[in-house]
Amino acid sequence: MSTPSTPSTEVLLSVRDLRISFGAVEAVRGLSFDVHEGEVLAVVGESGAGKSLTARALLGMPPRGATVTGSVRLGADELVDAPRSVRSALWGRRVALVPQDALSALSPVHQVADQLAAAVRSVDRVSRKEARARAVAALEEVGIAADKARAYPHEFSGGMRQRAVIAMAMLHQPDLVIADEPTTAQDPETQKQVLDLLATRTGAAGASLVLVTHDLATVREHADRMVVMYAGRLVEAGPVGEVFARPRAPYTAGLLASVPEAHPVRSTGLRRLPAIAGAPPVPTDLPPGCAFAPRCPLTDATRCRTEQPEPETHDGRTVACHRWRELPDNPAELFLETV
Amino acid sequence: MSHVSDVNPLLDVRDLVVRHGTRTVVDHVSFDISPGETLGLIGPSGCGKSSTAMAVLQLRRPDSGEVWFDGQELTAMDERRLRPLRQTMQPVFQDPYGSLSPRHRIRDAIAEPLHVQGSWDRTTGPARVAELLERVGLDPTHGDRRPHELSGGQCQRAGIARALACEPKLLILDEPVSALDPSLRAGILNLLAELQERLGLGYLFICHDRALVRHFCDRVAEMRDGRLSSS
Amino acid sequence: MTLVARLLKAARTPGSRAGLTRLGCLAAVLATVGLLPWLSGRDPALTVLRARSAEQEATEEALDAIREDLGLGAGPLSLLGNWASGLLRGDFGTSWVSGTDVLPSVVAGLQVSLSLMGAALGVALLVACALVAPVLVRARGSAGSLAAMLVALPEFLLATLALLVGGVWLGWLPTSGWVGPQYMVLPALALGIPAGGLLGRLVADALPAVLEERWVELWRGAGVSQARISAAALRRVLPPLVPQFGMVAVGLTGGAVAVEVVFAVPGIGRTALGAAKSQDLPLLQGSVLALLTLGLVAGALAALVRRRLLGPALRDAGLTLPAARPVRAHPAVPVALGAVLLTCIGWGLLRDPYAVDTTARLQAPSWAYPLGTDGLGRDVLARLGHGAASTVGTAAAVCLVSLLLALALGFLPSVAAGSSDIANALPPVIVGILVAAAAGPGTGGAALAVALISWPPLAAHAAALVQEVRASTFLHAQRAIGATPFWILTRHVLPSVTAPVARHAILRLPGIALALASLGFLGLGAQPPAPEWGLLLDESRAYVERAPWAALAPAVALAVMAGLAVSLAAYAERDAGGAGGTARTGSASGRGRFAVAFASFRSPKESAQGSVKESLKEPVR
Repeated sequence: MSTPSTPSTEVLLSVRDLRISFGAVEAVRGLSFDVHEGEVLAVVGESGAGKSLTARALLGMPPRGATVTGSVRLGADELVDAPRSVRSALWGRRVALVPQDALSALSPVHQVADQLAAAVRSVDRVSRKEARARAVAALEEVGIAADKARAYPHEFSGGMRQRAVIAMAMLHQPDLVIADEPTTAQDPETQKQVLDLLATRTGAAGASLVLVTHDLATVREHADRMVVMYAGRLVEAGPVGEVFARPRAPYTAGLLASVPEAHPVRSTGLRRLPAIAGAPPVPTDLPPGCAFAPRCPLTDATRCRTEQPEPETHDGRTVACHRWRELPDNPAELFLETV
Repeated sequence: MSHVSDVNPLLDVRDLVVRHGTRTVVDHVSFDISPGETLGLIGPSGCGKSSTAMAVLQLRRPDSGEVWFDGQELTAMDERRLRPLRQTMQPVFQDPYGSLSPRHRIRDAIAEPLHVQGSWDRTTGPARVAELLERVGLDPTHGDRRPHELSGGQCQRAGIARALACEPKLLILDEPVSALDPSLRAGILNLLAELQERLGLGYLFICHDRALVRHFCDRVAEMRDGRLSSS
Repeated sequence: MTLVARLLKAARTPGSRAGLTRLGCLAAVLATVGLLPWLSGRDPALTVLRARSAEQEATEEALDAIREDLGLGAGPLSLLGNWASGLLRGDFGTSWVSGTDVLPSVVAGLQVSLSLMGAALGVALLVACALVAPVLVRARGSAGSLAAMLVALPEFLLATLALLVGGVWLGWLPTSGWVGPQYMVLPALALGIPAGGLLGRLVADALPAVLEERWVELWRGAGVSQARISAAALRRVLPPLVPQFGMVAVGLTGGAVAVEVVFAVPGIGRTALGAAKSQDLPLLQGSVLALLTLGLVAGALAALVRRRLLGPALRDAGLTLPAARPVRAHPAVPVALGAVLLTCIGWGLLRDPYAVDTTARLQAPSWAYPLGTDGLGRDVLARLGHGAASTVGTAAAVCLVSLLLALALGFLPSVAAGSSDIANALPPVIVGILVAAAAGPGTGGAALAVALISWPPLAAHAAALVQEVRASTFLHAQRAIGATPFWILTRHVLPSVTAPVARHAILRLPGIALALASLGFLGLGAQPPAPEWGLLLDESRAYVERAPWAALAPAVALAVMAGLAVSLAAYAERDAGGAGGTARTGSASGRGRFAVAFASFRSPKESAQGSVKESLKEPVR
């Protein structure tokens, strides 16, 4: 069950058998992984995989109506089932959130600097003026000039807004920053700027970063380790370089193969991309065995269709698949067959 | 690719200009597309890619410039003359759910172009719809559903089937896979590639993902602040 | 006047065309007021003659002399011109009945009404705070059905109940007149409680959705304390709601008429009603003008406050609130209420509402008379049943007319927006007074008055839907397949708009019935001996101490109707998707509302699936 730690660093946050459900519908179904000190961990998945819910649970902020079981332990503090006062004492100080960029990520009726100042004053008892000065300084650190501090969020570009959000999350030097799709709906140049800023700011503070995303290019560029989720469960986890070089789960392999970067040159004559057939399942209607089985080229008729694979760990890599050892050296070809 | 030749281009856009108020969003853009050819249009968000698409489709009339399609100049035509020609040039939009009426079943949405054309035949029509569903990789049962009962990828396939019902010569693909989950994108791209080879369609492929455009397109034009810097 | 108009115009800027429509509507209302003597069709000279010297013979010469005197012979245009130029000089004309200047009576009435409204506003704020506080503390939930119930109780009903309980049975407070501050208590409560319920509900219903906006997550995650987040959420909620607060103030002017009548308060509303009933048109013109101005000033003030709250930078930002999730009563509630009403009505319909039995006057409920008898010995149950048939029947007709108008005008968004603003500034009672003065009191007049102000919200809803459909991608796809505008209109736009707006109209039916009843109560609707709920309540007030059941029966029936209106309104709000409140401020997320409008087309299973997807909160790219 447990994910072994990379030898060099301590475990900062450990998640064990995390389950999140809404009524009878289970959206996250037994998830276990660790976040080490100072690392960037990517949580990868498609819509419906439960990654955003997982991010909320790591912060101790499950959405209304959600039932959370299992364990999320930050140092000595258990976040699942902890009273709100315990969890809110951690917010901003030890864990912080960078939400998806949208106009709604900042309050539309408050000046940007005032929003940061509210966070300053909630934690440190300082004067209004002092809080404002610290807010302006924090904005300057992410490259937003002091004369822009009076602006409202809608006067900012998407990139500037996201930088302001990062400044707000980093105000109290948290140990863990959770970024939920921080660059969705931005163009590639802005994406790169925002991610670089996020990485340098957390790096400078020695904080760990959990990067929730569906974008594989982002993962390869910025993450140390990755956790791949499918239909609420972990299918693969490991160091980014190793997973990209030699995926073990068929889902990861298909995902990596279907990205055109893997076949940059059209002159090879390969116009068809390897593709995963079908569509991800909806949480209300999951297949009985492995959730990926209906789309998987390796599926066998018995175990894959009836029994959920449990995560197993070998040489620092975790995979949850009955037939991972049978994945061929060039898995892309498997997915070419299924077109 | 074999179709790319020196015959008259299918689409020839000359000095296209689109203004929103005082702002020029498409600034003297010219390009052409031959039958069976894919032209990629790439650029950051807000650079005028989608405005170009709407102007080529004559869904938003350009402020100046010429759009020659299949030997006819479209910008000078009034709506009445343009209407019969519209089916030969079909859009596929980014939002898979947005381009289909949420109230209609997929089957009816695919049949609608035939009804509009007046070519609906009660005996052969249903078979034609079934054939289109199959061609885009959908089940016959999907025809009885409404858009929200389908996944994004299935919906996008339905949108493509509807476009094919028009028997078009050119598809304007405006970010057709950007709103889809990564595991679904390759499937749609493969479908588009196959249709192009089978039917000899011309594609204008709008996208912001450089790697994808480079993989999928014969030629790539780059757009920035409404201007084209060809490459 | 022009200043007010400018302020109004500046307040909401979804387009100058809507502003022009608004001015046009305002001018039309003013012209109607000015032309009342001409519109009324009856010979005002007769009224004047009667009032001046009852015994004088109504000879042609005498009447002509009076017509000459009043300048009525010159035709409508010069009448309007005279009136308008008089207004500009501060001359409101002379009362036909008393022969005195109108202005002092209007000013005196206005003073009384303003202090009453001030007190009522105080009550309203207290009620609103009481409703909002628990939501802010818990950071979830909403004001609940109590608030919704308070909102739906019409002032005339509440005033009658307050009079019964506080004044007559308990005898704590004076119930009639305007002598000292203690006279203010009951009227202020009757007027303030529904207004406070509405204020509180607007804020309390908007708060939970705001507290789920993404920025709250960011703030919380950055360590901002709950108290600061609550304060910020309140600050976030207010600007888009302030225009609706203005409408609450407008509603006070309408409610004041009923409350002033019940408690015999010599305010402007009672003056207007009295003038309408006695055909004293100059006095009516003056007091209606005062009431309208009150409403417009309130609206303009609200607009100013909103501007201030938003700050200069945000003026164009088109702020909208996330769609509130209305509190749903259990479906059994409206069903049960409807069943009770239908039983009463059905049973009553089998009995004779007109049979007068003087030997059985004011009887207590018995097997022969299940709800007792009234002052003339008529069967209360029968009158209730037949009253429902006429009230609800009229309401249904009004609904249908409103729906057709709304669908037709929904395709002219600027007209819809402008007219809905004016309609919002006109309480039904004032329109009822105007119509009654022009056409005489009667069921038709009351129906016309309610119809005049009930179509604009529907038209605004229709306009919002039309705009959303027109802006949606799939209409582009329609045009791209070469569909004609007629095809698109009949196959796509109309079906998308008709169903939700029709549902909205049906759900407004109980509210319309209540408005009709309130006109009946004031004597502006159906006339005796017709059985009409408002009229029943009014008649029974005279002998309420001796036969409380005669008053209680229509009061309870009206309350049940109000309950029905509330429990159905939650469903209407889902359909409208907040179109009434947000359409005017411009929608930032048109697609979202479009989706809401179409949600009703999904089968229950898919909706359940959709809501699960929503609650999973995976970003939809």
